[in-house]
Amino acid sequence: MLNGATGRVWVVPNGRTLGLFAVLVAMCYAGASQGNGAAYLLCFLLTSLAVVSLVHAWANLQGLEVSVESIAPVFVGEEVVVHVIVTAAKGQPRFGIRVLTRRGTPPLSACLIKAGASSRIEVRFPAEMRGRYHRLDLELTSDYPLGFLTARQLLTIAHDYDVYPAPRGVIPWPRSLAPTRQPRDGTLREGDDFGGTRLWRRGESQRHIDWKAAARTPVLLTKQWTGEVDEILHFDWTTLPSLDSEARLSQLAKWIVAAEHSFETYELRLPGKTIRPARGDRHYYECLRSLAAFVEPGTETPP
Amino acid sequence: MSLFRQSGRYSDVATAPLLGLILVLVLSIIPLAEKITDWVLVGFFGICAVRLFLNRPGVRLPSLPVKLVLFAGGIGGVILTYGSPVGIEPGFSILAVLVSLKLIEANGARDFHVLALLGFFLALCDLFTEQDLTRWMYVGVIFLLLLATLVHFHRGQESPSYGRSTVLAGTLLVQALPIALILFLFFPRVYGGFRFQFSQSLLYGNGMSDRLSPGSISSLALSDQVVFRADFPSGGMPPISEMYWRGGVLWQGDGMTWTKGRALLREFRPRQFAGPMIYQRISLQPHGEHWMFALDHPASAVRGAEYVAGNILRSEHAITSRLRYEVTSQPEDHEIILPADQRVATTALPAHVPPRVKELVDGWKARNPDPKAILNAAREYFRDQPFVYTVNPGTYDDPRALEEFLFVRREGFCEHYAAAFATLMRVAGVPSRVVIGYQGGDYNSLGKYVIVRQAHSHAWCEIWLKGEGWQRVDPTGLIAPDRITSTLNSYLEARGGQGDDGSAGQRAGSAKGWHRLEHQLQLAWDSVNYQWDLRVLNFDQEAQRSFLFSLGLGSTSWTEIFIWLLVATAGFVAGLSLWLRKPGTAVDKVGRGYARFCSALARAGIAREPWEGPQDFSRRAAQRFPAQAEIIQRISDRYIELRYSAAPANPQPFLDEVRHLPRFTATASSS
Repeated sequence: MLNGATGRVWVVPNGRTLGLFAVLVAMCYAGASQGNGAAYLLCFLLTSLAVVSLVHAWANLQGLEVSVESIAPVFVGEEVVVHVIVTAAKGQPRFGIRVLTRRGTPPLSACLIKAGASSRIEVRFPAEMRGRYHRLDLELTSDYPLGFLTARQLLTIAHDYDVYPAPRGVIPWPRSLAPTRQPRDGTLREGDDFGGTRLWRRGESQRHIDWKAAARTPVLLTKQWTGEVDEILHFDWTTLPSLDSEARLSQLAKWIVAAEHSFETYELRLPGKTIRPARGDRHYYECLRSLAAFVEPGTETPP
Repeated sequence: MSLFRQSGRYSDVATAPLLGLILVLVLSIIPLAEKITDWVLVGFFGICAVRLFLNRPGVRLPSLPVKLVLFAGGIGGVILTYGSPVGIEPGFSILAVLVSLKLIEANGARDFHVLALLGFFLALCDLFTEQDLTRWMYVGVIFLLLLATLVHFHRGQESPSYGRSTVLAGTLLVQALPIALILFLFFPRVYGGFRFQFSQSLLYGNGMSDRLSPGSISSLALSDQVVFRADFPSGGMPPISEMYWRGGVLWQGDGMTWTKGRALLREFRPRQFAGPMIYQRISLQPHGEHWMFALDHPASAVRGAEYVAGNILRSEHAITSRLRYEVTSQPEDHEIILPADQRVATTALPAHVPPRVKELVDGWKARNPDPKAILNAAREYFRDQPFVYTVNPGTYDDPRALEEFLFVRREGFCEHYAAAFATLMRVAGVPSRVVIGYQGGDYNSLGKYVIVRQAHSHAWCEIWLKGEGWQRVDPTGLIAPDRITSTLNSYLEARGGQGDDGSAGQRAGSAKGWHRLEHQLQLAWDSVNYQWDLRVLNFDQEAQRSFLFSLGLGSTSWTEIFIWLLVATAGFVAGLSLWLRKPGTAVDKVGRGYARFCSALARAGIAREPWEGPQDFSRRAAQRFPAQAEIIQRISDRYIELRYSAAPANPQPFLDEVRHLPRFTATASSS
């Protein structure tokens, strides 16, 4: 889950290097044309400063350990939020470190990493393609100390994260043609008798709350009747032939999100994979993860 | 109208680096202040203050139309002030306008760097106006502050200490010195055909002019600006009072005003090297003219200079950079033949000779028509009449200047005496000319060289005596003999002190001790300055070649030297990187420890889901392994504290805990 990664640190010129170069040329020209030793000396000093700052820029980035905390899954169109842990060895603190992802917007402010300590840096980038990702490309840059050169380190960190298909689509979920009746709590009894109370869960209908009991106890209880059953929703890939595969996945994702929100029990059927009916976080995430990782039979590699 | 609605942005530069940058810009503009017109200077300082004022949250920077108006007004104003955008002063003024405009709109990293680069450029301009060691130290401070500003800017807002940034800037500067030195010694110097010249001598302040009129030298008398320094490597330094540094000869006299006159033929005299030779090495400060100075009078040719009529050296180009040359003088070698054109020029009478002057000269001639006798008579006249030597002789108005000086006021400075004396000689029919240059100098006993300043400016005459050649006559020496042996300042001081009473004299005595110390320090400083000048600033193509020869690299090609230069730089960079390399690789021990904890739980059958935060995961794991719920909870809490709490916590307990993880088993929990 937490994987260190190190890449080589490069120091590369940037736009300001050009400006510095122009000033150096001006100084050298002034020295040559006026026979002015002072201008030469100034030019050499500034050149030398640029060279020295190159080494300092390198040293500022060198020897950092970068790891990533678990990345929360997101839907396409949302932002992937990555918490990057940058750790510096004892010695000098590191200044002006920026962490970038390949597609993300550059961060506004650079940060300081204290010597011998770790810093958490939040990086965001838009999730563009659904899928299960196994690696993360990060870039560490710093303009420190003089800004005329940029130190840069490209890192590839092995780390899994999911991007679910965007929940999108206008097709209402299919009503079960032949509803499979199944008891909600696993115990099957005859008749619609009162079957005791259990804890009320947020989002459930308030009709069955045992209000009398509520006056006695600090928790809300809901009355249960034996024989109460749920309708099971079947979300099936094959029922959506009019859409292309990504749109199908989006539609399925939308149904799953909606079903989970309204406490329905649902089943997901994909070509080659069926997830048995259930509900709750684990089921919800398992379904969405299957959508993210879905590979249409016949195509080669997952995105 | 959309132009006006597009008002400026908010400032997003931190105040501390901005303040530092503004300070540096102000410091680097100060030495240029003389060359910048006043209103631009005032505007510059105003804009500095305004920019600082604008650097508050919620205040907008000026919009584009405002900046355009400022730009047009600034540039237009400079052109109106000077009548042209070309030249030193308009150039510096326009530079100041541009810097202030950049400053007012400066926002963000890019503008900040542009301003820093402008700061470096201004530092270069500072060195164009003056290059002595004091100025270099000043520029060094500007460099240091500029670097500190950049470092502080890149440290970000979390680093509050400007002092640390300055220390690092100093470190950078010190570390930069070796490469700078290598480059300085080995980088090929080229002086090529792409020489551009400053069109005006504005850069060089006042100096000698080729027109001598009442007041032209006394205006320089109190300036201690160094003109040149000279040393005598093969010994034979004459006494200070004998040092007449010949600069130019004025052939055409009109009463009290003397000028160069028409160009005369170059001198090709048969050289009879006679008398002692004095070998001098002179290092001349740039003055923008063609003057080259040497002891009276130079007898050898100097590269880049021509030897012109009147035994003077004249540079082929205007001297815009410090110049170092070697010259041999022969004080006792005099010409025997006066060329015809020189005879005509040196006997030409002024256009108008006042009758009273004619009368005086006729009197001398009547006594003895021999030129030598006339010369003596004139000397006596100046010695016996109550002539006064003073820096402030007042003004003499031209038509009657000579008469007024000789017969009425009798107050003057060296130029008055030299001009009047030479004119008298011409009236008497003795060929004469005025020589301008410097007389004396400050001997630096530490560095064993002579410093000649503007205050040593002097004018004297030369008259032609048949058979003896040109003879120097210094009428100033007749009036104020002390002037010739001391500098003007000390001469004036000494004379001022004479009138004081005893107690003041005592005070003057203790002040004198202090004065002497001060003088010694000044000499020591000037000596360092001279070495700097000699060894660093004058390290040119020639000096570099002889340096390479002394290393045995005389025949090495530039390509080879260039490669070695790169190798040396690379070596230095490698060494510095090794030194700066951080010891060991950093390890995120806390992260690794938590990963260990998670994988132990995963082996036991409960893996952390990617969406699960540490808190949720620990709750789930605790439910699964109730027997070890306590330890799971504790590890998670410590991890959360280490990672997310604002105050830094000690990671050791957490690390110990993680190192000795128990086997997680569900057996203890009975369901």
